[in-house]
Amino acid sequence: MAVTETVKQVKNVLEAEGLVKRFGSKTAIDGIDLRIREGDFTGLLGPNGAGKTTTIKALTGLVKPTEGKVHYYGNDFLRHPMEAKRFIGVVPQQSNVDRDLTAYENLYLHSILHAIPRPLRRGKIEESLEFAGLQDYRDRQVKTFSGGMKRRLVLVRALLHEPKILFLDEPTVGLDPQIRKNIWELILKINQQKGMAILLTTHYIEEAEKLCRSAYIIDKGKIIVEGSPDDLKKDMGGYVLEVFLEDRVEEEFFSSKDDALARLKECGHACKIRQVTLEDVFIKLTGKRINV
Amino acid sequence: MFNGFQGVLYRELNVFRKRAKKQILASSLSPLLFLIAFGWGFGDRVAVDGLPYITFLIPGLIAMSSLNQSYGIALELNITRFYFHVFDEFLIAPISHVEIVLGEAAYGMFKGLLSTALIFAYSIIFSVKLVIGPMFFLAILTHTFLFATLGITIAMLVRDHGDQATVNTFVITPMIFLSGTFFPVDKLPAVFKWLVYALPLTHSTKVIRATLTGGDVNMLYLLLMTGFAAAFFLTALWAIRRVEG
Ligand SMILES: Nc1ncnc2c1ncn2[C@@H]1O[C@H](COP(=O)(O)OP(=O)(O)O)[C@@H](O)[C@H]1O
Ligand SMILES: [Mg+2]
Repeated sequence: MAVTETVKQVKNVLEAEGLVKRFGSKTAIDGIDLRIREGDFTGLLGPNGAGKTTTIKALTGLVKPTEGKVHYYGNDFLRHPMEAKRFIGVVPQQSNVDRDLTAYENLYLHSILHAIPRPLRRGKIEESLEFAGLQDYRDRQVKTFSGGMKRRLVLVRALLHEPKILFLDEPTVGLDPQIRKNIWELILKINQQKGMAILLTTHYIEEAEKLCRSAYIIDKGKIIVEGSPDDLKKDMGGYVLEVFLEDRVEEEFFSSKDDALARLKECGHACKIRQVTLEDVFIKLTGKRINV
Repeated sequence: MFNGFQGVLYRELNVFRKRAKKQILASSLSPLLFLIAFGWGFGDRVAVDGLPYITFLIPGLIAMSSLNQSYGIALELNITRFYFHVFDEFLIAPISHVEIVLGEAAYGMFKGLLSTALIFAYSIIFSVKLVIGPMFFLAILTHTFLFATLGITIAMLVRDHGDQATVNTFVITPMIFLSGTFFPVDKLPAVFKWLVYALPLTHSTKVIRATLTGGDVNMLYLLLMTGFAAAFFLTALWAIRRVEG
């Protein structure tokens, strides 16, 4: 039997080049380059004020970049935004659901705005509500929802028109740890089941490490390093020995646990071994912590 | 094709539906107070421009009340924009700014027409006879469109709630009182008259009053209203584009 092997070519969904946004004299982002391919799960990790939200806004048409180019599937987004807007889904930093509308009405509004054919609307909306676990709250006004419920609603709303790329701006900020896990599961499910490319911004190290297969680290409006979280950490060595000196903690990096253990034995101070995190990567490059 | 227009209108009307009772009740009170105070208070003793004062007043109230309602979408837009960021849903969607402006304007016109219907009901109670013909509809549609698009423009230009209140206090409220809603502007000193004729409400009120009381409609005024409507439509478009700065 002949086996036809299809070499699937992974296409670039999004390419951004030299994105700059200035608000008056304030430069919010300063030459951002990004590339996202189909099915990617990419993180944009950086401290508050680094320019994450501005980047997302510039990529989704909420803010006009001062300089730079944005292409979706090779098409110029800044010149012809309508085309690309059809396959962009956005979950903004604030859950911008309509408080006065019910969950169903919120989704119905989205289905009109995105020109989903009328006969398909109802079925898609019911499916979305189920995916978000909100089917029992279908006809409740959103102002009665908890923070986690609103987040889930915004998430499935952004998916309703089946985008090719989903932007998530700090999707779990302000949520309880339990609810955060719940949202993480939902996000992973979206990426895996639907094969949707995701660009997620966060200032939580753990979130970026858990979810993203590749990451851009951003500080003061510039990308300072990019790569998969594993590679970035390996480049640092993989293991850290924290040496507790009298007035400070000194960190030494090792590429294997054994090397770190050997050093620990001969070290005359109190010591602790832990794995390298993206925070270490950030500290090494900027001299400061992501979360102050 | 019109899904942007439909979507915006779907949103606004559904939100309105849930607050309709309260809103209609609230907006029905002030014209009633004016009618009691000035209509009954002055009675038939006062005649203005050859009309009993209450007949003169009712078209003015229609102009004022429908302005309040259709311009009033500015406040709602403000809240959806700054507090709940709902407006971003419109900006992210693959719809044009023209559709957003037309959808919001249609909502403002709907509210303006609702308050107009309410004052028609009052006119029956106060047994004032009005002529409601096609020219009146042309006038009230232009009037509500022009003030709705002015409202959109202002809502997109201000930076917050406070700015909005300032515009209302220093522009909208004086305009409402000076534009011939309660007294004929031709009695004003010449300097004031110039100022007042620069305000769109002056022309609206004149045309609306003429159509309702069977007077002669000055076509120049109607043309000026159309001019204002076109201008504010363009400023609204420009102001939305500016939001994306
Ligand atoms: N509309 C704006 N006007 C002026 N400055 C802004 C505006 N939006 C963002 N900034 C500034 O740009 C920088 C980046 O902001 P932002 O993109 O929100 O960062 P992040 O999302 O990473 O916290 C910050 O210093 C912020 O104060
Ligand atoms: Mg942000």
